[in-house]
Amino acid sequence: MNATFTLLEMRRITRDWAGMFFTAVLPAFFYLIFGSTVDAKSADIGNGNVAMYVMISMAAYGAVTATTSIGGNAAVERVQGWGRQLGLTPLADSSYIAMKALIAMTVAAVPILLTYVLGAITGAKGSAAAWALSAALVLLGSSVFALYGLLIGTAFRSEAAVGAAAGTLVIFAFLGNLFIPLSGALLSFAKLTPLYGYAALARYPLTEGFLPDGSRDPLWLPVANVVGWALVFGVLATVLVRRGRERQ
Amino acid sequence: MAAVAWESGTVTTSTTATAPAIELRRLVKTFPPQRGSHDTEVRAVDAIDLRIEPGEVVAFLGPNGAGKTTTLDMVLGLTEPTSGTVEVFGRGPREAVVSGAVSAVLQTGGLLRDLTVRETVRMIASTYAVHSPVDEVIDRAGLATLADRRVSKCSGGEQQRLRFALALLPDPRLLVLDEPTAGMDVTARRDFWDTMHADASAGRTVVFATHYLEEADAFADRIVLVAGGRIVADGTTAEIRSRASGRTVSATLPEQSRSRAVAVLRGTDGVRGIEERGPRVLVSATDSDAVARLLLGELGGTDLEIVTAGLEQAFMALTGDGRDRTTDGEGAGDSGHAARLDARLDARLDARLDARLDARHDHHEEELVR
Repeated sequence: MNATFTLLEMRRITRDWAGMFFTAVLPAFFYLIFGSTVDAKSADIGNGNVAMYVMISMAAYGAVTATTSIGGNAAVERVQGWGRQLGLTPLADSSYIAMKALIAMTVAAVPILLTYVLGAITGAKGSAAAWALSAALVLLGSSVFALYGLLIGTAFRSEAAVGAAAGTLVIFAFLGNLFIPLSGALLSFAKLTPLYGYAALARYPLTEGFLPDGSRDPLWLPVANVVGWALVFGVLATVLVRRGRERQ
Repeated sequence: MAAVAWESGTVTTSTTATAPAIELRRLVKTFPPQRGSHDTEVRAVDAIDLRIEPGEVVAFLGPNGAGKTTTLDMVLGLTEPTSGTVEVFGRGPREAVVSGAVSAVLQTGGLLRDLTVRETVRMIASTYAVHSPVDEVIDRAGLATLADRRVSKCSGGEQQRLRFALALLPDPRLLVLDEPTAGMDVTARRDFWDTMHADASAGRTVVFATHYLEEADAFADRIVLVAGGRIVADGTTAEIRSRASGRTVSATLPEQSRSRAVAVLRGTDGVRGIEERGPRVLVSATDSDAVARLLLGELGGTDLEIVTAGLEQAFMALTGDGRDRTTDGEGAGDSGHAARLDARLDARLDARLDARLDARHDHHEEELVR
């Protein structure tokens, strides 16, 4: 890991106030709207309550929005020639991706922190283990979506790619059981989609796998989903980044 | 950065002091045809053999699409050759880059607009295990007064000097410059080359691509003329110029005796080439006076003109042959230059030599405007 490189990248992100507002603050608003104001917010669920369930979901949505847009922006700057400049340095692709993922996770921590603080204030309840573990899982899992952003940005090769990647996240968030509880055939299909495993895993310390419809996911299912999608994104991102270095 | 340190530790062992700075063997790069077009694949680099010794300053001269950038990309390990081999100081290009033996100022190398000049240098410096001090390269690139300026606020010339500063970081033995002054005005170009001259520390090999003849002429010891993905000439500036030495004499000849006149001219001593363009015959010869006398007297020619060949004509003559093979391996982006070259080639095809001279004149004016 290269500390100078990483810190300079962080400085760039703190200069973009508008971007920070939308990736960091918007999910916290979502929590206030969907989580803290619903009637059932105090109903018990696993090791906590419904407000906590929504809080984790929104923190997860905010975290992946942050990591996806950082990954997408990384892809765009590579397309605009920075990738060729970096190609003239000893910096290995794997180091570059690892640094960008670290930066993305650091930024992802901001909406998580905001949402969890708001949750604590507005009545989210859960065991101490559920609070700590879910936050850690939201944060760690979001790194997978930095690769997703990088992949989409590199594939579409434009600034619109960042928007496209963020747009698809909304769909994945619905399919990932983040916004409304799914059931039936749609739920069976949803279990294969990229945000499902991540969100289910993050909520596992709270729900122990139980779903709003009363069914239960064994632990291996969200784990397999996250590992599978991490591999898909990681391999495709590496291939595309390597190809992006060649002049088009 | 453990992985990088390990890589640079292993590659240095394969270096030999006698290895050429660059050695290309039968280097080929083809690009697949554009999607939706029925063209065959594009052969951007077509079996180039080239050896550049340490310490040489070499210009890659050629029109747009000649394959200069693609060739240099392969030297830098940014593009994989389709076939053939590239060695930089006796090893693979990527190894040479990782060890800091080679760096480059790229034509299309983007910069991060939201960083300052110094931040950019610091960021790139951090990728090297060993590098020159950040403030030293900023100073050498003439950026000391701009160090805290955002890249987005820097002019094209200033950004190019920043790329130059980045290239100086590893103190490379081989410096590659791809069209380093493209898009700069005259002052910025002169400043850039002044900086380059000031930095020409002994022993550094410099390879630069350009389509400015005067740059190649002024800065290079050796010119490699590229067209259509091939090397069409390779030699010192003086040698390239001598390829087109002598003069070209042209005259309009009466139609009925033209073929006989051409035969006579072909048999004349010192005549090196004859070209027929409509009613006019163009003769390149070492003894232009004798040819002129012959044309005006015995052969009944009229409207005689005599033109001295320069480096530019050597360039036109040598690269013009490669024109139909010229590929689009260098991408779009500066169609203005391509258009100018087309104009130059069209001027060449024009039978009237004065038109050619006008075109040259225009070209120089354009240079001044730039």
